[in-house]
Amino acid sequence: MKSSRRFFLISILLGVAVVFLGWFAFTRLRPYKFHGSLVPSAGTAPDFTLQGVNGPVSLGDFRGKIVLLYFGYTFCPDVCPTTMTDLAKAMQLLGKQADHYQVIMITVDPERDTPEKTDAYVKHFDPNFIGLSGTPEEIAQVATLYGIFYEREEGSAATGYLINHTASTTVLDKDGRLKLIFPFGTAPEDIASDLQHLR
Amino acid sequence: MTRWWHWLPFVFLGLVAASVISFKVFQPVQVVPRIRLAPGFALIDQDGQQLTSEDLRGKVVLYNFTYTRCPTPCYGMNETLKQVQAGLDEVLPPDIPMKFVTISFDPEHDTPEVLRAYADSLDADTDRWIFATAENPSLLKTILGAGFEVYYHPREDGTFEFDPKYILVDGWGIIREEYRYETMLPNAKRILRHIGVLANEIENSKGASKLAYEAAHLFLCYAP
Repeated sequence: MKSSRRFFLISILLGVAVVFLGWFAFTRLRPYKFHGSLVPSAGTAPDFTLQGVNGPVSLGDFRGKIVLLYFGYTFCPDVCPTTMTDLAKAMQLLGKQADHYQVIMITVDPERDTPEKTDAYVKHFDPNFIGLSGTPEEIAQVATLYGIFYEREEGSAATGYLINHTASTTVLDKDGRLKLIFPFGTAPEDIASDLQHLR
Repeated sequence: MTRWWHWLPFVFLGLVAASVISFKVFQPVQVVPRIRLAPGFALIDQDGQQLTSEDLRGKVVLYNFTYTRCPTPCYGMNETLKQVQAGLDEVLPPDIPMKFVTISFDPEHDTPEVLRAYADSLDADTDRWIFATAENPSLLKTILGAGFEVYYHPREDGTFEFDPKYILVDGWGIIREEYRYETMLPNAKRILRHIGVLANEIENSKGASKLAYEAAHLFLCYAP
């Protein structure tokens, strides 16, 4: 009877061990839950070359960095400054690690926003941000491919026209693959936490 | 002497491996892949109203691409779309909104009036089945060619050489499935099955089961 008792003991212990390890694995090794919407795609996102303040800038220049793409414009009254402030806060929260990320704003108002104006605008929020512009055709091409819609809306004489546009932020990984979309209004803490888990 | 508990880590690893393999083999959860972003656009519909990608955010959308002068049966596209719409109630819960968008790549001929007449001839409910095109041909080429990756080329006689294609897009604007004519006859049943799988994910991918859905994406447990 000795061997059957031993077998019984072993199975009990084994059962306990499996439950314990399973619980450990579930609580400790549980995959991170992103706040943004995951868009993990196999291929690289479409490359583009637009005008920066010091000449042409391509998406490919930022391989090795995680890129946050935002489409906005400098006359934007509310949505763009809020997003830029949130992204700047997220970068502050990341501290030294912020070097691994690059925030790029592409203007959807190329007629008014020169590369200089766009770049100066974003640097007002964070000196490491980059602003890009281009011809209306180039901007239309890039925006379309990144799922961004925008249209001109006539405002009052004082403000000039406004532009309605998709207000989400697109995140690409170090290899230029699409990874995440942050909807407008994602908290800076959630952005920072998601970005940390992308590295 | 080897003690039995020396084998515990291996037993544990074995169990983990077995569960991963069985997840992949038996696929308790199936998904449709997240392929890439659908393009952003502003089109004009059969009533002359603007239709943008933002209007369709939060809705499941089945796109197809054609032109109204396409000689019938025109790859049976309209027939397939009608079959999908007829079977929709069985796979899609009523709280998940869905639209069908037929985009014409022949804006010179397919004006809103022509699209309206075409919709009426198909007896289409334009609240659910929208017909649209863009006025600017080069922008249309960017949206369709570069964005949706649809090939079309006008012939001299006014007809088009094109790939009949259906594209299923989720509420986030992410392409989830593409159906090409040359590879497989896109039958309504297959599209309906995928809409059902997508609806399940939208309804159930919350809390702990979200992990199971993410695992299904990770292990490529794609619905056939």
